[in-house]
Amino acid sequence: MKNQLRVLRALKGWSQGELADQLGVSRQTINAIETEKYDPSLPLAFKLARLFKQPIERLFDGEEGR
Amino acid sequence: MNQTNLIESYRPCSGSYSLKKDLRLNAWLAVSMAVYLTALFLVKRHPAWSPWSRGLLLLTPVLPVLLYLRAWIRLVRGLDELQRLIQLEAFLFAALGTLLVGFVVNTLGAAGVWREGLNHGLGLPEGCMAMFALWLAGGALANRRYR
Repeated sequence: MKNQLRVLRALKGWSQGELADQLGVSRQTINAIETEKYDPSLPLAFKLARLFKQPIERLFDGEEGR
Repeated sequence: MNQTNLIESYRPCSGSYSLKKDLRLNAWLAVSMAVYLTALFLVKRHPAWSPWSRGLLLLTPVLPVLLYLRAWIRLVRGLDELQRLIQLEAFLFAALGTLLVGFVVNTLGAAGVWREGLNHGLGLPEGCMAMFALWLAGGALANRRYR
């Protein structure tokens, strides 16, 4: 699934590890989402949306990225 | 809490390997092996014991094995969602791979290819070793896909 995670993370100036720490997931998970190799679960997607203060559909557009 | 490479810390030869975590996870496996070997030794030394006594004694490792299983379940529950997916793929790879290896070995054994050793098919120790090796391989493959 296409997403804006890498862009939003860069705007905040966070590293993948720092974002992973805030979400309680591994850095590998953040990297896999950013590279569109892995689609997050709904709870994790909502956590991301809340953290970036963005609507969930702005983060993920639902189109297949792979 | 960053759970980066959490499962890696239990895997020997990985960069994040932690002996303390490995011991905490695998302590019950070591206990079950020790209990099994002790039970085997006692049963061999006392052939006059009743079949029920011998059977119950040989089954004593089941308790530490159940505790080992509980340690694994706790570990998997503590993983983040991607790590859980990777472990699921690794376990499926190991389980189905072991079935396949067992089928091949048994079939070749039935055809008389093996003269010694594996002529009765894949035993429990060989099956466990195959499963462990395939779990490592499956985990490495799944990790590579999501890297």
